[in-house]
Amino acid sequence: MTRVVVSGLGVVSPYGAGAKTFWAGLATGECAIRPLTVVDTEGFRSRIAAEVPADVLSALGPSRRRSRADRMALAAAREAMAEADLTPRDRMEMGLFVGAVGGGMLEGEEWYCEEKRGRPSPRLRALRSILPVSHAETLAWRLRLGGPRETVVMACASGAASIALGADVIRSGATPLVLAGGVDAITRICFMGFNALKLLDPEPCRPFDRGRRGMSIGEGAAFLVLEDADHCRARGARALGELLGAGMTTDAHHVTAPHPEGEGMIRAMVDALAASGRAPADIGYVNAHGTGTPQNDRVEALALVRVFGEGHVLVSSTKSLVGHTMAAAGSLEAAATLLTLQHGLIPPTANLHDPDPDVPFDCVPGTARPVELGAALSNSFGFGGQNVSLVFGR
Amino acid sequence: MSVRRRVVVTGMGSVSAAGCGGSAAIAAALASSAERIAPLKAFALPDGPSRLAAEVDDGELMTLLDADAVRRLSRICRMAVAACRLAAAEAGIEGGARLGLAVGSEYGDFRSGAEFFSGFLRRGPGGLSPMIFPNTVMNSMAAVVAIAIGAKAPSVTLNQATVAGDLAVARGVALIAGGRADAVLAGGVDEIFLDVYRGLSALGALSPMAGGASEGCRPYAPDHNGPVMGEGATFLVLEEMEAARARGATIHAEVLGSAWGGIPVAPHTAPVSGRDAHRTVGRALDQAGIGPDALGRCYGSGNGDPALDDWELQLLEADGIRDPVSLAPLFGQHGGLGALRAAAGTLAARIDGAPTLVHGIARGGCRAALVIGRAA
Repeated sequence: MTRVVVSGLGVVSPYGAGAKTFWAGLATGECAIRPLTVVDTEGFRSRIAAEVPADVLSALGPSRRRSRADRMALAAAREAMAEADLTPRDRMEMGLFVGAVGGGMLEGEEWYCEEKRGRPSPRLRALRSILPVSHAETLAWRLRLGGPRETVVMACASGAASIALGADVIRSGATPLVLAGGVDAITRICFMGFNALKLLDPEPCRPFDRGRRGMSIGEGAAFLVLEDADHCRARGARALGELLGAGMTTDAHHVTAPHPEGEGMIRAMVDALAASGRAPADIGYVNAHGTGTPQNDRVEALALVRVFGEGHVLVSSTKSLVGHTMAAAGSLEAAATLLTLQHGLIPPTANLHDPDPDVPFDCVPGTARPVELGAALSNSFGFGGQNVSLVFGR
Repeated sequence: MSVRRRVVVTGMGSVSAAGCGGSAAIAAALASSAERIAPLKAFALPDGPSRLAAEVDDGELMTLLDADAVRRLSRICRMAVAACRLAAAEAGIEGGARLGLAVGSEYGDFRSGAEFFSGFLRRGPGGLSPMIFPNTVMNSMAAVVAIAIGAKAPSVTLNQATVAGDLAVARGVALIAGGRADAVLAGGVDEIFLDVYRGLSALGALSPMAGGASEGCRPYAPDHNGPVMGEGATFLVLEEMEAARARGATIHAEVLGSAWGGIPVAPHTAPVSGRDAHRTVGRALDQAGIGPDALGRCYGSGNGDPALDDWELQLLEADGIRDPVSLAPLFGQHGGLGALRAAAGTLAARIDGAPTLVHGIARGGCRAALVIGRAA
């Protein structure tokens, strides 16, 4: 079977631009969840989020022609492409898999507000970029990517799914190279929607804590250059790690709630392990979906117990540091997992002061922990009962 | 590269302006010359140059759903569930851990997004409905179909203009060929919604795009001047061939080749200078083991958008293929249209056996190709 390695990595996160900046924030355990500024929060239960700082956004390039999300996606993708150091010919073969949900909705909302107030909006052109597919069109054009292209909308599992599906395309032989990842910007609909569902903690989220009250939303983008291992070796490129396997399942249970026994989550993890050829005991670390909602963390812990056994793996949630970046979350967490393997250092779960006894794992509270790891697993789940698990190796 | 698992079509279901049903209804719609594009009835259009659409008859749609589904589901989700149930029933498949979904959509549930946001504009935070919010995510159609059918393998939603349905079919084939599922309900869905229709009309994205000739859907014609919006849902049941044979399923046709690519052109453009270095059609034909001369016909994605029609003809000509047939005048442009092309190719293969190329190209460069023929 074709082995798939990662030969480039790019990130725009609430810490700033760049994979190094991202890792520095994770390693120090700095929580980037702060008062939200990009949308009006007056009257809402939760008024915080993990935003990409305004000065970082400004430095990403002009804003008049591209949505906030497009600018984050392009910066992260360019960083990954630069690291992979591909030729124009490679790029013309390269596939593009973008996990997205919000698209250019932040700008589209401004158009919609003006329309509803009865004013013909000068922002009509924002409609062209409102859909998630706009990111893939922008990236393909600016980076000259000519291979298979998909915009994957699988709620909060979108970024991880794009990586799994991109790797499948490499294994099918359709192309040796894929740029895969996810992007999402904070939008009013997202912020208001999770508030309406009462899924947001008014304080920075506390995954796996007994007193957790919900998640904190975030934004960002992360892209990985996935490559056929033989192709990577033949061109003398450096592999940052290997995508050993991926599992994708659906609960078919409820639109917003996970299956109460974590049945779909378990199947995703078991499938990913089987595809990777690794046993549960080979996995030293799980980057959990870990949103901080009472229900998600409880069910994910149940599923982890079923797959790994109580306490048999280290678990942490990087959402406690950079928020839940929605469609980007799976790719940011894939990047975090790769960097964890590279550095032999597990990012902590922030704000975890009173561990939930229903989560029988060491969730690495507060401070990053040095551990030599051979393989690690990253979980991403989403509305619609979407479950994706990725297994990475060094 | 591992041995490719063969994929066959064992059922189909459709909800469109031409009616609702399985393969017999789709065949009848394709054979009929009845006019489905007509002045919009669902809402009044006080301004804008566009007036036409191919609308689903809600009365007929309701007959396919139980009261609970009608109460709980948004309109676009009703269409998706109805079409998938029709397809699953025709194929005789049941849910389970090896049944997946591939859903293509151009706009998703924009109606719910607007309804949710309007609640805030009217009444502030207290006007927000937690019941509506989940529908604003574009995978909501896949979510409700997965629950209705019991599909527990991967359910993938793809957002793509013009070729959403055929791209989803190609994705469904890949899920089976790669071993992630043994069967996949694959297709597309969209609905006509006032804000989207008005916005596209104002942007000049619908006929009559640049004025001139009268409004209408005239793909590849000298006087083409834009697409006419349609709506509906069409899904095919794709199955791994041996699994389908083992359960004694009726095999309508085989997907002999399947590929998709992306031509790097500027967003929203369709430049005739754009070339397909990935050889999307060539790859699909190679998989099928045939050349363009062996094709019986080609269903193209031409929808009357002059730049896109011209680009498609040029790309196909470079692949040695001429005279594509468009189904857009029958059903209007929507996310299910590509799946209707695949359904038409399936039915054609059943009749005369000659392989059909199902082709799609979108502004921005996403391209899909399916070769469908009689299963050997």
